[in-house]
This record gives sequence, structure tokens and C-alpha cells, in this order.
Amino acid sequence: MNMRSKIGFIGAGLALALAGCNGSSSGTATAGGGNATAANNSSLPLVAFSQANSQDPWRQVFDKDTKAEAAKYTSDMQFEEQEAEDDVNKQVGVIDTFMVKKPKVLLVSPVTEAVQTEVEKAHDAGEFVILLDRSVPGTKWDVYVGGDNMAIGRQAGDQMGKLLNGKGTVLMIRGTADAKPTKDRGNGFMESMKKFPGIKVIVGDDCGYQRGKAQTFMENFLQQKQPFDAVYAHNDEMAIGAYQAMKAANTPKKVIIGIDGCQKEMIEHIKNGDIDATFMYPDPGPKGVDIADDFLKGKKPTDKNIFLPTEMVTKDTADAYEKEHPNLAG
Amino acid sequence: MSRLLNRMNTLQTVQRYQGLVGLLLLFIAAFFLSKDFFTSDNWVNVLKQVAIPGTLAIGMTFVILTGGIDLSVGSHLALINVIVAAWLKHGTGLGETIAYSLFIATTIGAFIGWIIGATKLQPFIVTLAAMVTLRGIAYVYSNRTMISGFEDKLGGFQQSYFQLPVSGWILIFTTILSGVLLARSIFGRHVYAIGGNQEASRLSGVPVNKTRIAVYALNGLCVGLAAVLFTARTNNGAPSAGLGYELDAIAAVVVGGSSLVGGIGNVFGTFLGALFIVCINNVLQLGGVDTNIAQGWKGLIILLAVYMQNLGRQ
Repeated sequence: MNMRSKIGFIGAGLALALAGCNGSSSGTATAGGGNATAANNSSLPLVAFSQANSQDPWRQVFDKDTKAEAAKYTSDMQFEEQEAEDDVNKQVGVIDTFMVKKPKVLLVSPVTEAVQTEVEKAHDAGEFVILLDRSVPGTKWDVYVGGDNMAIGRQAGDQMGKLLNGKGTVLMIRGTADAKPTKDRGNGFMESMKKFPGIKVIVGDDCGYQRGKAQTFMENFLQQKQPFDAVYAHNDEMAIGAYQAMKAANTPKKVIIGIDGCQKEMIEHIKNGDIDATFMYPDPGPKGVDIADDFLKGKKPTDKNIFLPTEMVTKDTADAYEKEHPNLAG
Repeated sequence: MSRLLNRMNTLQTVQRYQGLVGLLLLFIAAFFLSKDFFTSDNWVNVLKQVAIPGTLAIGMTFVILTGGIDLSVGSHLALINVIVAAWLKHGTGLGETIAYSLFIATTIGAFIGWIIGATKLQPFIVTLAAMVTLRGIAYVYSNRTMISGFEDKLGGFQQSYFQLPVSGWILIFTTILSGVLLARSIFGRHVYAIGGNQEASRLSGVPVNKTRIAVYALNGLCVGLAAVLFTARTNNGAPSAGLGYELDAIAAVVVGGSSLVGGIGNVFGTFLGALFIVCINNVLQLGGVDTNIAQGWKGLIILLAVYMQNLGRQ
């Protein structure tokens, strides 16, 4: 191949690659596993969803449920979703780009409160703004739908107190230090602990809601030979990480409680008795899409803040829970 | 012989303007994917989005031209981001805060450049260490929380003048100044010389270590600028900010036609490269294409760009 034909070949490849994007959008829509569901009927009002990230298992279930719900309303709306890789700057860009397409409804699951300015901009531009899972300060948005992390933290604390009979030491493995759910899940738990003066809480490291980090943290913690009776992790991934570290070190059984209840793996652990309980962190996506559809039909919800209830999963309720939630992550 | 020369010229021209070639192809794709791409609203939007990765990529161009690399820019951005936020929250004036944070950013850059020269370690290793260290400092400095509550003190950066956002203007000026510096100054010639052949430049009297320190200092200054723009855009300071931004910056430089080996490239190409990458994201989102599929295309396009750079240079 000579030089010029090489250039031609590359140019053609590039052109094909870019042109190919067009075809792949419809592919995603039918596959349903992707982030964007491009509807063909462009005359329908656009409902745009800016997701914080599509990586962690809870968000994957959130995405799946949201898309499934939107699929019920294909005659009312065009639904599109973009994730922001947990980066505020990227999310601001995603929302700016959505605004070019002038959506009627904007669903936002904020990366952090820092998207407030952008949310306000969309609201000022006349879009109906629905916040999912995480809220932002101020009042320039229309509806918030999410779980109540404080309440979940309190219930987790109550269950912990019950399982330990009000006595012992709990290691709390924390999520991302600067995130609001971390604070709420921690504070709610500590509030409940006031009822159990016999329980001591060791505040563990920020393990970023990641299994690997929690596992490493637990391995190091076990090296310190500090006695403890239970682990409270701010999410299931970290609870599993801690469990794996303890299992590898042949640590005698401890009480373990997690939060989220969105993974089959966690439910299996609960069935096996490895882990004691998890609290479902409700997925706000379907409710958000319902509200969007109501809005398109001229109906607005009466409450500005909608808190979805949690559900405790234990060995006794695990089977029923699994049947009730068919979309659990793999 | 003349036919061969002719071919080489065509190749070099394409290599030199490959960012532009890419952009043109992208425009054609956009024509089929989404008409919204061509609205002026969207162009303001694209310029706002390109300002931060673009400014980082301009700084990175200096570093890459010397044959170096800087993996620490994402963490560095996070540190300056929390510093700017903390100072503004504390009530320091806007001008002082910006001047102070740009100074810190430049000093950190210069220090990294000095370490590379002093230890004779590869830039990859030194900046990898800096990436970890600076992230840690950002977390400690911010006390592991986000810093917000300085109202809208940086709001000016979000406004538009002459149809373009201030952040876009800053990128344009940074690009032009850097371009002039590289093309018209002795310093610029030294930068290219070091990237071409470090040992030969040292023997012929180029102050290699001093030039390297200046290059990393300029890169630091660009990181500082990007961090100020980042703070203006997000209106808070987050120690977890800027994760993976070094890779976006490197990608923009490479797509823009610079060689990772050093000595070849320029900042105007980088500007186009950064614009190209932001436009890919933008076009794919407007066209309703899956984000992760978009990532796949981006990877493929970067690979093609590097392949083209290597043609005729073995």
C-alpha cells in the first residue's frame, strides 16, 4: 500500500466511523442496554435525563428501570439519557447540550450540589426540572424524588442495635466523604445509636462506595487486631468488600449490614447468612418518568419533595424481595 | 523522485492539519446526526465545554513538545480548584485569589520540571508521583469536603462578550499567545530542539534544565487557568475534581497532530484537537447516541490520529 492510498484508507475509515454513529443509535434503542434511547418520532416532546454515572450497580438498575418506564410512554414522549461519569463539569456540559434540543422535561440526578446553577438555568429557560436521588439547594426546580438516607441510616441503626442486643463495637465503613448520602447514612445511624449506649462506633475510612477500597481497608483494619462485633457499610458493595476481607482472614462471623439492596449478589449473601441485612435504597427513575408524563398531560404533583420508602431485606424476606424486584443487577 | 516528494508533502499537510480534517468529517457526520449542532446556541455551548480541556491541552502541548508528559494535571486542577474555592469562601478578593492560585499552580509546575531535571527520572514517573501526591494534598487541604458558598463571585467567567463566553476567549488568547511564543521566541526554538534531540541540544548550548522548568511552569499556569474556569463553571471546590482530565488533554494534543516523541506539533493543532474531541461528545449526544459507544469511537479516532502521525516518520 503506498502512502497516498494509506491516507485515503484512513480518511475513508474515519468517515465511515463517524457516519456509522448514525446507525448505532437505533441499535442502542433496540438493545436497551445503552444510555440513549432515541425515538424515531421527533415531533413528540423530549424528556431528557442527565444521569450522574452509569457505572455503579445501583445506577445500572436505576437506568434499566427508568428506561423500562419510559418505554411505556413512547406515544407521549421521546426519552433520551446521558451519563456524566460522576463529573460535575461533564454534567453541566450534558445539560447545556440537552438545552440546545429544548426538552420539555429535564430529569437530573446531580453528581453533586454543584450543578445547582445549571439546574436553575434550565428551570429559568422554562423546562420542568425533576431532580432524582440527590437534591440541590435553592428552590429553582420543580420536583425532587428520592430515598430518605437519614431514615435509612436510622433504620439500619435500629436493626444493628437489635442484632447486637444493644452491646458491642460497630465499625462504620463510609462512602465518599464529600457526598450528602454519606453524611445522611452516617448521621441517621449515629442518631439511632443514641438509643443503644452500650454500642461503640468506630468511624472507618472513606472507601468511596467501592468494594475494592473497602476490602483493602478491612484487611488493614484486621491487622490492627482491634476487637469489633459488627460492620455497618454505607452501601452493599463495601459490605461485600468487608465480608470478603474477613472471609479471607478467617475472621469469626460478624454482624454485617449494608444499604442499597440492588444486587443479586448481595441478596445471595443474605440468603447464605454471610451478611445480615440490607436496606433498599429506592430507585427514583420510574417515579420521575411518571411525573414527567403527567406533566406532559398537564398534571403537576402536589408535593415538591417526594420521598420513596425503604424496605429491609433479611434472610426471611430475601426470596420475596427477589421476586418483587426482577431488575436487580447481576 | 518528484512524485515521492509530492506524496510526502501531501502527507505532511494532512498530518499538520489532521485536527481540521477530523473536524470537517465530523461536520459532515453532524449534518446527518443532528441539525441542532449548527445552531449558535450550541456553538457557545461547545466553546464553554472546550475551554477547560482546551486550556489543559495547550499546557500539555509544551510538555509533549519537549518529549515529556504530565499525568498530574487532573489532580493539580483539583488542588487549585479547592484553593480558589476556599479563598473565595474566606472572603478574599477575586483578583487576589486568581493571582495567588495562578502563582501556586505555576510554582507547582516549575517544581515538577525541576525534579525531572534534578533526578533525571522519566517525566512519566515523576508526574505519576505528582498525580497521587497532589490529589492527596487536595483532600487534606479541603478537609475532605466540598467547598461551596461563595455566591456567584466567579459568575463573570460565564458571561458572553462579542457572542463568545469569557472562558472561550481565555482559551483563544492562551492559544494565540502560546503559538506566538513557540513560533517566534528563542525559548520556543529551545522547546522544539529539546524534543527533537535532547542530548544534541544540550551539547549545542541549549539550557535544557532551565527550559524544561519553564515548560512545566507554563503547563502549571495553564492548569491554574483551567482550574479557575472549572471553579467558575461548577461554583464549588471538590477534591475529587478533574479525574482523568490528563488523558483528555493528552488525547487532544495527539489528535491535534503533535508527536508524543516530542519536537513536532503546535498549539493551533491542539486547539483543533480539543475542539474535535468536545464536538464528538456534543454531536453524539445531540444525535442521541449512547455515551459508552461514543467512548469507543473516541478511542478509535485517537488511535487513527497516532497512526497517521507515525506515517512516513519511521
